[in-house]
Amino acid sequence: MVKVESTLCSQEIVEKKTDLSEAARIHYLTPENTEFALTEGKLLSVRVDGELYPVVYLHCSFPHSNKRMFISVRTSENQEVGMVKSLDEFPVDIVRLLDEQIHMRYFAPIITKVINIHEEFGYSYWEAETTAGHLQFTVRRGGGNVKMVSSVKVLITDLDGNRFLIEDVNQLSEKEYRMVEMSL
Amino acid sequence: MNLNYELSEQDQLAARLAVGERIHYCVPADLSLEGKRTLGYFVVGKEKWAYIQNGELIESCRIADACDYNVVPLIGNAILEATQDHTKRLIVRISMQHVARFAYIAQILNYMAEGSKIRIYNNETEMVCPRCGGGLLPGTRLCPKCMNKAAVLKRLLDVSKSHWKKLSLGLFILFLTLVVALTGPYFQKLLVNSSLQPQPGESPSLSLFFLAIFGMLFGLAAGELLNVAKGRVMATVSSTIAADLRKLVYDKIQSLSLGFLTSQRAGDLMNRIMADTGRIQHLIQEIFTTAIYQFIMLVSVTFLLLNTDWKLALIVLVPAPLVAYLQITIWRRVLNRLFRKQWQVNDKANSYLHDVLSGIRVVKMFGKESREIKRFRQYNSEYAAAAVHAEKIYSILAPVSTYLLQLGTYFVLLVGCHMILKGTLNLGELVQFTGYASMIFGPLAWLMNMPRWIANAVIAIDRVFSVIDEEPEILDTKHSVKHSIHGNVQFCGVTFGYKSYEPVLKNLNFEIKPGEMIGLVGHSGSGKSTLINLVSRFYDVNEGEILIDGMDIRKIQQEDLRSQIGVVLQETLLFSGSIIENIRYSKPEATMEEVIQAAKIANAHDFIIQLPDGYDTKLEENGNNLSGGERQRITIARAVLHNPRILILDEATASLDIDTESVIQEALQRIMKSRTTIAIAHRLSTLRNADRLLVLEKGKIAEIGTHRELMQRKGIYYNLTMAQRNIG
Ligand SMILES: Nc1ncnc2c1ncn2[C@@H]1O[C@H](COP(=O)(O)OP(=O)(O)OP(=O)(O)O)[C@@H](O)[C@H]1O
Ligand SMILES: [Mg+2]
Repeated sequence: MVKVESTLCSQEIVEKKTDLSEAARIHYLTPENTEFALTEGKLLSVRVDGELYPVVYLHCSFPHSNKRMFISVRTSENQEVGMVKSLDEFPVDIVRLLDEQIHMRYFAPIITKVINIHEEFGYSYWEAETTAGHLQFTVRRGGGNVKMVSSVKVLITDLDGNRFLIEDVNQLSEKEYRMVEMSL
Repeated sequence: MNLNYELSEQDQLAARLAVGERIHYCVPADLSLEGKRTLGYFVVGKEKWAYIQNGELIESCRIADACDYNVVPLIGNAILEATQDHTKRLIVRISMQHVARFAYIAQILNYMAEGSKIRIYNNETEMVCPRCGGGLLPGTRLCPKCMNKAAVLKRLLDVSKSHWKKLSLGLFILFLTLVVALTGPYFQKLLVNSSLQPQPGESPSLSLFFLAIFGMLFGLAAGELLNVAKGRVMATVSSTIAADLRKLVYDKIQSLSLGFLTSQRAGDLMNRIMADTGRIQHLIQEIFTTAIYQFIMLVSVTFLLLNTDWKLALIVLVPAPLVAYLQITIWRRVLNRLFRKQWQVNDKANSYLHDVLSGIRVVKMFGKESREIKRFRQYNSEYAAAAVHAEKIYSILAPVSTYLLQLGTYFVLLVGCHMILKGTLNLGELVQFTGYASMIFGPLAWLMNMPRWIANAVIAIDRVFSVIDEEPEILDTKHSVKHSIHGNVQFCGVTFGYKSYEPVLKNLNFEIKPGEMIGLVGHSGSGKSTLINLVSRFYDVNEGEILIDGMDIRKIQQEDLRSQIGVVLQETLLFSGSIIENIRYSKPEATMEEVIQAAKIANAHDFIIQLPDGYDTKLEENGNNLSGGERQRITIARAVLHNPRILILDEATASLDIDTESVIQEALQRIMKSRTTIAIAHRLSTLRNADRLLVLEKGKIAEIGTHRELMQRKGIYYNLTMAQRNIG
């Protein structure tokens, strides 16, 4: 009895899933139907089922939780050419190419060392070592400018709109952590 | 905006070599393709552009070789692109700091590539601080150098100044209390030395005994009475000052732009208005009742102690500064952070609560109550944990430092008794001395407690003034005038984006004649609501101008402008209060008859009259006890009552059935005769009365004309209409 019920359940779930995917009709790009290439102008182009898209941009569905899954390939007119379900389906050199493009679009230097955060009158002044070099920037308090985007990752947006990441708050030193925590 | 940066000599050399002797524009291109911040520059010469980095030429190219120069905003950075040999190419990569600059440069390059005249309104001046001439924080009028805490405290004083009469009364009472308190030990000495243990050779005096007893009694009674009086005076003063502050913050919030307000959480702002001003009130009360009192007490007792016996005094006083120093360090380093953290968690929990409660329908609809309860519990325990943590540390630190102070008393007794035995001090003097000495511990111990509430208060002041100091982006100037609107609206080259580098509306040019009804059509997200936001001047245009009767709307006083524009927004907003109050909101002095007339036009009268409480029906928060269409009709009535010269309807009748809608349309038509109307609707039949239709597509005007003209054109409008007909 019990067994029958459980199989029924799982069947139902599977069915629901297909219902949804049927309705959504996502066009997945796979190594079989897709050819990515870097153009001379250092941009990405793609040929899908024989049709060439001279410039495309990669948009991550989950820029914070998983950059490598469900990547939407879009033209500059914001039309979706298709979705890459997972980067790992593609050969290594293509993955490297796509990775570079993703990093170009989602640019957020990683803060390797917080040197100082000084807070006054609704603004905090940050000084930090980042993967883009030694930087100073100003962040407006509130409005989600410093926010946790996963359980350990912190995203900081400065006044201009530049973004910075702290990959893992637990890796910060006690002193750094206290400074960052105050701005959260 | 600075488009002509100074180059270092080396860079200049390389740039001249690449683009020619004359450098027309030069802006930082500060991001390498690998994602490193660099000191690169993008230089534009007569015919060529060049990308220079550290005195080296990275790339250079003829401007006319490419076209469609364009800044593409990515996430957290941007790139300058162009079309060259029919394909897109990347030119340079930049950080967000210079995006706006490159938007200008891209335009300039396009003009140069076409060989046409450069038409650029580069009047976006970069603001400098009026005091020190340094750069301001982008997007604000704050200078990081010229702000300081002392200035803020002075501001607080300025706010308090207007209540100086009451404040000085409080201070006067405070002095009286002080004097009374200081007489205590003197009478004790009198008591001991005159009657209990008279000096050798003197007999106990009964009259002095009574004088001393009476003096002590009087001191106690008067002290208490004065304390009561002081408390009452200060309570009223501090609450009026806090009320003043609340008003300041509230007024400021009202005058701030929509842009600022939408970037803040409502819960955050609420907290600043209520909780933070409350803390400031507490601060003022503490300063004037306790702080000043304790401070003067400390000074005068120190003086009296030194006067009585300086050696003994030193024993009491020496450990004090040490302890005080310890306290200050502890305050700065530990407590400030701890308590601030505790608050932030508190704020977070409150905002969360606000969100969930106002979205309670969604929570219930999806049956997620238990999840929300769990989430709140988590916030709550986070707060509790932070509070416990802070209090724990505080409770360890406080007794340690108090203990240090008490050590002084012990030494006084030790040395004092020794001196009495030696005969250099008499008992009365020791009693008086310990009396004063015990008075010094009060202020000192209190000074130790000070960090607690000062920490709270300074943060509160900081937060409150950060709102008060926020400059509204949309300002009336001295030259703003009142203008009685006739109804002509003209867009001249209007470009606008919520972020200046991402235009939502692009170079709009059109004119609406007085009395005309314009239908605004376009896909979702094409910029329709944005366009009407500009007409009401909720935002200022980035480029071009909007003219009303030929006058730039930036020259018209905002209040005057908006009082003549009636808006019914996409989202209905009603306040809790009765229906009549809600309709009357736009014109508080409207008579009952006018209200009913307005409701009649909005076709709301019939349903209102059916309600058991009629126009007196109390609306719940945002009118949740009415249907969507009923709410919409009330907002229409509100706009109509306002009797605007320009009426703006943003999907105002979207939640209504066709019949109701056409009744309202007809009535509106009657009242809006000779008034300008701009109506947005997805349901095109709504706009059949429109004189002209304006089709927006991706922020540009795609088509403009009458229904018939557009149908003949067989363009976007035609397709939309046909699509809707097919459904119908
Ligand atoms: N306050 C805002 N801040 C930033 N971007 C905004 C803001 N309001 C709107 N936008 C963006 O501006 C664009 C145009 O929005 P707008 O509200 O004008 O569209 P609309 O034509 O009224 O659409 P709809 O028919 O859905 O109401 C959208 O891409 C939207 O994301
Ligand atoms: Mg809209």
